[in-house]
Amino acid sequence: MSGSNVWSRSRERLRLFPELLAQCADEAAVYGKCVAATTAGKQELRKDLCAKEFEALKTCFTNAVSPNLQICTWF
Amino acid sequence: MNVFNREMKRRQKNWAAVLEEGHQYDYLRDEVGSRVADRVYDIARTFPLALDIGGGKSHIAEHLSQKLRRQSEIPTQCVLADEEFLPFKENTFDLVVSGLLHWINDLPGALRQIHAVLKPDGVFIGAMVGGETLYELRCSLQLAEVEREGGFSPHVSPYTAVTDLGNLLGRAGFSMLTFQDIDDVQVHYPGIMEVMTDLQMGESNCAWNRRSMLHRDTMLAAAAIYKMYGSEDGSVPATFEILYMIGWKPHESQAKPARRGSATASFRDLSKI
Repeated sequence: MSGSNVWSRSRERLRLFPELLAQCADEAAVYGKCVAATTAGKQELRKDLCAKEFEALKTCFTNAVSPNLQICTWF
Repeated sequence: MNVFNREMKRRQKNWAAVLEEGHQYDYLRDEVGSRVADRVYDIARTFPLALDIGGGKSHIAEHLSQKLRRQSEIPTQCVLADEEFLPFKENTFDLVVSGLLHWINDLPGALRQIHAVLKPDGVFIGAMVGGETLYELRCSLQLAEVEREGGFSPHVSPYTAVTDLGNLLGRAGFSMLTFQDIDDVQVHYPGIMEVMTDLQMGESNCAWNRRSMLHRDTMLAAAAIYKMYGSEDGSVPATFEILYMIGWKPHESQAKPARRGSATASFRDLSKI
């Protein structure tokens, strides 16, 4: 497949993922700790156990994406 | 036993091969190639005819020829074949090396075929990723999927455990085995995306039971969880456990365990030495 197509465009967007995530390092750490705590503690990991932390992370991530005009907010 | 979609794997390898900057992702294969070549040189014998299964870009042959004093190239011939259906006659090769055993569906069968194409007193030196390889990636994706979607599916191939290697080689007919040889290689990456990008170089998942997509939310969650494995400077480790195995095709000249009761000295005399 040559030229610009949906695969190459979505790969381009994905390439920016690490930088954007770096801007949300704090929220990511909070979420990560919440999930990691379940592996050590008595509480088993269930769906949406850390939903609040994840929402914070996702909001931060979406805000990091939007200043860049080339990407439409596809989240 | 059908674990991997080999048609898909062939396509993945082709995609990886046509990439322009493909060689910069070959660091691990290069490393494994040099260590296998090391083990070949450890054996004090010459091997007139050798087979390299899954040669790829000939990482092993490259390192073998570098160690020769004279700058002669080892004459090689590449054959496109299926490693589970070796198209060679029995008792052909003195040496078989392989760096690609982790994508084989029927590993016992393949090992038996390798045993068949070897000459008696021939040796097989293999390397495969196994055991705890990529456990950080596997765990991050698993935890993320459970938390975000309520279940999880396998994203990392099933690997052979070290303890099974001995049985596998024994059942294939090899003797004088060496298999507790493990190399733990830890490579540090900036984050989960880099790990997965590098793995795309021909090593992407191709198990039949894999899911065809990864939710963006799950990706984001997994990236955050992977950072938990990280260190002070922000990099995250990815573990590659490389298992090396050496097996010999039986021959009369090989040393056999002595018969019971034939001992001529006692361990009790050790203190007198």
